[in-house]
Amino acid sequence: MDPVARSLPALAALMALLAALAPGVAVASGAPGGARLADLPQHWRDDDGRELALAHLAGQRVILTMAYASCHKLCPVTIASLRQMQRALDARGEQAQIIVVGYDPANDDPSVWHQYRSSRHLNRANWHFLTGSAHDTEQLARALGFDFWKYDEHVMHGSRVLVFDAHGVSQSALGPETPDWTAAL
Amino acid sequence: MLTQFKFPLRALVLGAALSTVCGAALAAGSDGDKLAEMQRKLDQSIQMIEALSARVRELEAHQAPAKQAGAAPATPAGVERLDSVEQRVQQMEAANANRHADDSSLPIHGFADVGAGNYNPLNKELKGANVGNLDFYLAPKLGDRTLSLFELNFEVSPDGTVGVDLERAQVGYQFNDQATLWVGRFHTPFGYINTALHHGGWISTSLRRPKFVQFEDHGGILPIHTVGAWLTGAVRSGDGKVLYDLYAGNGQEIIGGVLDMRNAGNSHGNPMVGGRLGYRFGGKLDGLTLGLHGFVDKVADDFEPTDYTRVKMVGAYAVYDTDQWEHIAEFYAFNDEDLSGGTGSHRSEAGFVQLGYRASWGIPYLRYERASLQQSDAYFAALTSLNSGASYYRNALGLRFELDAKTALKFELANTHTTDRAPDQYNEAQVQYAIRF
Repeated sequence: MDPVARSLPALAALMALLAALAPGVAVASGAPGGARLADLPQHWRDDDGRELALAHLAGQRVILTMAYASCHKLCPVTIASLRQMQRALDARGEQAQIIVVGYDPANDDPSVWHQYRSSRHLNRANWHFLTGSAHDTEQLARALGFDFWKYDEHVMHGSRVLVFDAHGVSQSALGPETPDWTAAL
Repeated sequence: MLTQFKFPLRALVLGAALSTVCGAALAAGSDGDKLAEMQRKLDQSIQMIEALSARVRELEAHQAPAKQAGAAPATPAGVERLDSVEQRVQQMEAANANRHADDSSLPIHGFADVGAGNYNPLNKELKGANVGNLDFYLAPKLGDRTLSLFELNFEVSPDGTVGVDLERAQVGYQFNDQATLWVGRFHTPFGYINTALHHGGWISTSLRRPKFVQFEDHGGILPIHTVGAWLTGAVRSGDGKVLYDLYAGNGQEIIGGVLDMRNAGNSHGNPMVGGRLGYRFGGKLDGLTLGLHGFVDKVADDFEPTDYTRVKMVGAYAVYDTDQWEHIAEFYAFNDEDLSGGTGSHRSEAGFVQLGYRASWGIPYLRYERASLQQSDAYFAALTSLNSGASYYRNALGLRFELDAKTALKFELANTHTTDRAPDQYNEAQVQYAIRF
């Protein structure tokens, strides 16, 4: 047997061990630890049509999720949880930028998100509803572990929120299994 | 301030990132070329790890004296090198993330459901647990503008037999955001639920569709699927969107009492044509959609001699779908012309209203549905399978619970009256456990 081939299992085992130990690998597998805003696609438009680059948010804490405007199942629950987090921040006198990236740019353009915000009274200046290209949206979702797929006009997705520190590095991922989302702040 | 602890951690991170790359490569193939390629990549990776480890050791050596002297800040040269190492690590991680983003494999998604019920109106001796659907949904990416969609459904019919159906097989071209042309077998665009809520049980609030909008082989009276071409799109107008659909396909045939969409073409060569026009409101009426729909279809049956009917349907639909409410109403009026028997025209109608409330604990819903179908109309008279062409009305009360993001539990109580052919009435209690994956 080729010596390289003989050594492959051992090398693979070593690397698997490293992968298990190192938080950085979680980024590639869709888990949040160590993901950086600066490494994500940067070309987004907010609901006023303004360009926004995620890297420019460095220096502030960022809370990021994904949603689509016509979702009436999970997204309203996620948005309600973000409101809770906002209230917790307010109570502590702390600040954060809250980012909602659209899953479905073909249907949810900035004007749709503008209406969405307005109808749900989500008018705080630190909340940003972003639209990007389909490619950038998919790339961001994959990098941050947002699993989704489109079924006709629906988007199949879960409920997930990532919290980034002031250096733009993700610190925690919150989901339905998280008992208290505000504890992650 | 950076500490010595951070250097080995970075190296570990780098090693782990590399391990993921290589681990995936190891799993990817076993032939000689792939092995050689993997060997080359491993060699490169090991060299890179060694080089970076050497740099880390060098930097640690620089910092150690400084710490011993009172934890003074790192030298400018040390900081510079450290930045360089960090930059390399970030590049590696970004490249690794992009490798995943470029994944062009075809994920398999779908829906499935199982359930139980106290009554099977079509096979009265059957009751108890049942298997519903296993629906695979495939949408391979072909290009920026070329789209494709396939839906393969394993379904259990009311008599317990398992059938496989290619429910949708459509290839499309997106001209722009306002127009997409699909060719193949698609969900006929009428009403709301036929295109918005199709085979996946999980996706609809209610446990089942209204009886007359059921799939062709499950007792429906409408051409749920069409084989042909379909132009669809949405154009922004005011606060909302104008939704439009135009389609043409094979005229349907009734075979064995079941409406058939003629996957391979029909025997009389006549097409079915139709359209749907709606408006989805925005602003204060956000969630409201109103629309009109209609089609003309020349339908043949398999009697001897063959009956031909020109089925003409016009109707309307309304949807109010918000974070709190889900209301759906659809109405269909038929004016069918007997083309071979000389019995003239026949008017029939069908419709339903379903009201749902999205509470925090679940979604209760109510539905009333009615179909008044002329039995002298050769079209409805020929729909004999599962007694689908009979007139009826049904009251239903249901409840949906979300167990998690991918699982729903649904209950429905229904009372159904069949009002012609063999008048009957029956009560049903059903439960359904529906998932998506």
